[in-house]
Amino acid sequence: MQSARHLVAVGIVSLFGMWVHEARAVGVPAGTNINNTAQVTYTVGSVSATATSNTSTVTVAEILDVVVTLQTPSMPVIAGATQQELLYRVTNTGNGPESFRLQMTSVLSGDEFDPVAAAPSIYFDTDASGDLSPGDTPYVVGSNDPVLSADAFVTILVVNDIPAGVADGNRGFSRLLADARTGVGAPGTAYAGQGANGTDAVVGTTGADGEVTGEYLVAGIAVNAVKSQVVADQFGGTRPVPGARINYTIVVGATGSGSALAAVFADDIPANTTYVAGTLRLNSVALSDAVDADAGDFSTTPNAHVSVQLGALTQASGSQTIQFAVTIN
Amino acid sequence: MNIRTHKFYAIVTLIACGFASQAYAQGKACIELKTTAEVEKEVINDKGEKSKVLVPAGKVVPGTEVVWTVTANNVCKQASDKVTINNPVPEHMTLVANSAIGAGSQISYSLDGKSFAPAGQLTVQENGVTRPARADEYKHIRWEFKNALAPGASAFARFRAVLN
Repeated sequence: MQSARHLVAVGIVSLFGMWVHEARAVGVPAGTNINNTAQVTYTVGSVSATATSNTSTVTVAEILDVVVTLQTPSMPVIAGATQQELLYRVTNTGNGPESFRLQMTSVLSGDEFDPVAAAPSIYFDTDASGDLSPGDTPYVVGSNDPVLSADAFVTILVVNDIPAGVADGNRGFSRLLADARTGVGAPGTAYAGQGANGTDAVVGTTGADGEVTGEYLVAGIAVNAVKSQVVADQFGGTRPVPGARINYTIVVGATGSGSALAAVFADDIPANTTYVAGTLRLNSVALSDAVDADAGDFSTTPNAHVSVQLGALTQASGSQTIQFAVTIN
Repeated sequence: MNIRTHKFYAIVTLIACGFASQAYAQGKACIELKTTAEVEKEVINDKGEKSKVLVPAGKVVPGTEVVWTVTANNVCKQASDKVTINNPVPEHMTLVANSAIGAGSQISYSLDGKSFAPAGQLTVQENGVTRPARADEYKHIRWEFKNALAPGASAFARFRAVLN
């Protein structure tokens, strides 16, 4: 089983994009010694000579800098949903190892509702799945503060419950804050002897703290799709050999109180396969391949895909079953 | 003591003098070279006027401009001629363009520490194309002092570099 590639319900269900703000640390590692030795050559009478200077050394102090970025621009949720996560990344943009304290808050202005912090409300995405799963470790302030080397990042989940009374289109903000345990302050604030390898720590341009606000958007409805496949080879078996046919079945369902307007199902034809003409069906009714009055079509631009207009989908609509077939090249 | 012995002493003394003057030039350096690292610090006087002073650079953060000063002091009773100071740009640092100074000296630069040329005359090969080297690519600085350094006199060379 695999989920369908694209499912677009225009206007209500937003696909979430991912963006990664590249936060890069600057600078030579804290504690590095920068040495300088000059040399002079000269002549006295007819004799030439060389001399070397003392070695003058400066030590690289630690810059305290952190950047927090949001990995989930807007999280669609339904009213009353529990354990809804927002994905953040905390990056040490300083030049030495540093431990960071994390805090979250969901009581913010500018939104229509306050998400309710789950308990616990901050997790490490330990299994790197991008969502809250049993393997993820809860964060406990002062106990497992993330220690990040220069340039390193950690992925953090902020988890909230969504109140029951919220309406479609409402937004609720939730914020993650991270600050350097050595200290924060105005850029340039120095913490003598508290940096890496006993050097000084100096607050960098970020103030040694960072925060970013994420958003839950009440979508009223969640649309899901489950895809399954059956292979039939030309010899009466089920081996996926060239020439074998794969029959796909995708079941699309909606859950929640709202309605997904103008939902469109779209699925790319897998690489190294060819769509079998005339096999597209919606709820067992054949759909022509052409773009015409019926709900479905097969198109080769920009790449080979099938699409089916599902119209307004609600929980009451029940499951919509889409079928099509391909052959293995 | 006879005459032969006198001659012998004289020869020994001459030889000894020759050795001594050579040893003086080679062993005991006529020029003492000193290098310091400083940073500029803004200070405000009691009239509220701002000015910049150089203070010793102990610990610096990336992005800081360090002022490196090399002082050559002639501690001999003879003048030193053809005084040439060589200084590599310290590791992890980038030379600030046009920051090298040294009164009475001709300044040249090098990418490899072997061939030196005045600013703007060095080139690098990049993707098969020759282009002028940028100041941040200079890895060595050389100051050639035009005049001899008199006994007790000092020559002075300075450059600025930013900690990467």
